[in-house]
Amino acid sequence: MVTDQNSQAIVTFEDVHLTYDGVREVLRGTDFTLRPGDFRFLTGPSGAGKTSLLKLIYAAHRPTTGRVEVFGNDLLDMPSEEMPKLRRRIGVVFQEFRLLDHLTAFENVALPMRVLGVNPNSYRDDVIELLSWVGLAHRIDAPPTVLSGGEKQRVALARALVSKPDLILADEPTGNVDPVMGEKIMRLLLELNRLGTAIIVATHDLGLVRGLKQNILRLKDGKVTLHGPIPDETPAREPEGAQ
Amino acid sequence: MSDYEDSLADVKSGNTPIIPESGVSGFSLAIVIGVLAFLAGIALTGFFAVDAAVSGWSGELTGTITVQVRGMTPEEIRIGADAAEEILRSTEGLSNVTRLPQEEAEALLEPWLGMDNLPDDLPLPVLITADVTPELRADLGSLRQTLVEAVPSASLNDHGAWTDQLVAAASRIRGLAFMAFVLVILASSAVIVFAARAGLAAHRNIVEVLHLVGATDSFIAQQIGNRYLMLGLVGGSVGALAAWLATKFLAVVTGDAGGFLPAFSIDAGTAVWLLSIPILLGGLSTIAARVAVLRALRGEDRYVA
Ligand SMILES: Nc1ncnc2c1ncn2[C@@H]1O[C@H](COP(=O)(O)OP(=O)(O)O)[C@@H](O)[C@H]1O
Ligand SMILES: [Mg+2]
Repeated sequence: MVTDQNSQAIVTFEDVHLTYDGVREVLRGTDFTLRPGDFRFLTGPSGAGKTSLLKLIYAAHRPTTGRVEVFGNDLLDMPSEEMPKLRRRIGVVFQEFRLLDHLTAFENVALPMRVLGVNPNSYRDDVIELLSWVGLAHRIDAPPTVLSGGEKQRVALARALVSKPDLILADEPTGNVDPVMGEKIMRLLLELNRLGTAIIVATHDLGLVRGLKQNILRLKDGKVTLHGPIPDETPAREPEGAQ
Repeated sequence: MSDYEDSLADVKSGNTPIIPESGVSGFSLAIVIGVLAFLAGIALTGFFAVDAAVSGWSGELTGTITVQVRGMTPEEIRIGADAAEEILRSTEGLSNVTRLPQEEAEALLEPWLGMDNLPDDLPLPVLITADVTPELRADLGSLRQTLVEAVPSASLNDHGAWTDQLVAAASRIRGLAFMAFVLVILASSAVIVFAARAGLAAHRNIVEVLHLVGATDSFIAQQIGNRYLMLGLVGGSVGALAAWLATKFLAVVTGDAGGFLPAFSIDAGTAVWLLSIPILLGGLSTIAARVAVLRALRGEDRYVA
């Protein structure tokens, strides 16, 4: 089997357009590739289409035109029975958390394991360890309705990690937590990346990006450009697009 | 001791149903299922009661034949009756041939003619009864012919026409009762299908999240289907128990119908059959809900918001 560069890619976007309601053009010819072990910040101001781009990857939206390939599957002609298998390889920290209010923090984190139908004892300790790690050991039996925004965000993060996915998509994962917790979360994601997990962190917070020495996918005017890390001394503003 | 070890000891959660109760299987739905189970129970008891009655009637009413011998004079009747009795006694398939004593025949007339008012030479017909085997009863033609050839004034009555009509009518009722049972069970499955679809719609957001974390359609269908197992079991049990009590009550009230018709009764066998209702409803509810959810999910766009 010949493995060219393309077949190794985890995510490939080719001339992807996304238009909402037939009029709102969010992506206008987006191209990029993500390979195993890649870490990318996805930056751009609010409303640039970061969340929309991530949704294309985890197949919550389909592109209006263009090609989206994830783990070698062309999402447009992929049989729907394959969808669960694909999604199990992707851990998503949703911007709006998407926790289930009738379940406890423990049960929310355990959900990706529970849908696999495996023995609860096989993941119980992992779930508790993850919750403890994000500082929620005392909130294990609490439903999301009594949790603060930051606490919910940390539950959402734990849920995205519990199944040890090959690809993590984190949409503003530090948006609701204090700087100390934010840094802790970023260090965890970098550590997971060092162990081989491909990661995209969408954020409009350049303060977060600065100093972490990671490549940047910059989303502007519906197109994505790849940039090197922002140097420490750069003032906290949008990096200029490649001229 | 760390937070982590602390919490290991006392996690309480873990088994909350993924699809919450509300909107999927409420109290009112339990009542509907209970009522349907009650109706199914009534139909089923009706079926078995009529069934038992039919075999009772067949046994009691078709086991005998009666030969009546008429004539102009008592002498003529006596000779004819002797000949007829002789033929009956020698016929294969008949037993217990008995001539109704003259006094009994007279006693039958007493209410109309008054005691001691019967003239001695009144040509009272003679009745001869005999028990008949089912095989012979099925074909009485040749016996009837032999009898009439030997004794032209004899007539043979096998109560057949009346019993046949009764049995035929009862069989139709029995068929209807079974049909009612089947239809009620089908109706409850239909109710569950509607409820499951409504439940799916009510929990759209949960289903979306489940899809996003990699749940298969059949996993989701199973979660929703499980909600209906208990509903079918409990609703079915309550309804079937009510049906059993109702028919029991009916049996007590109509128990003494003057001995005219065989008793309408609920036996242990019927009670066991009633037990099948909750099991049937539980199983069918689960399957109906699962299939409904699977079909609904299959028909929709895989791309969720
Ligand atoms: N489901 C949707 N339907 C219509 N418009 C949408 C939808 N989702 C997002 N948009 C619009 O698309 C644009 C990009 O949104 P989004 O992807 O959330 O950007 P970001 O995550 O970068 O803030 C916004 O203007 C938003 O209003
Ligand atoms: Mg966003």
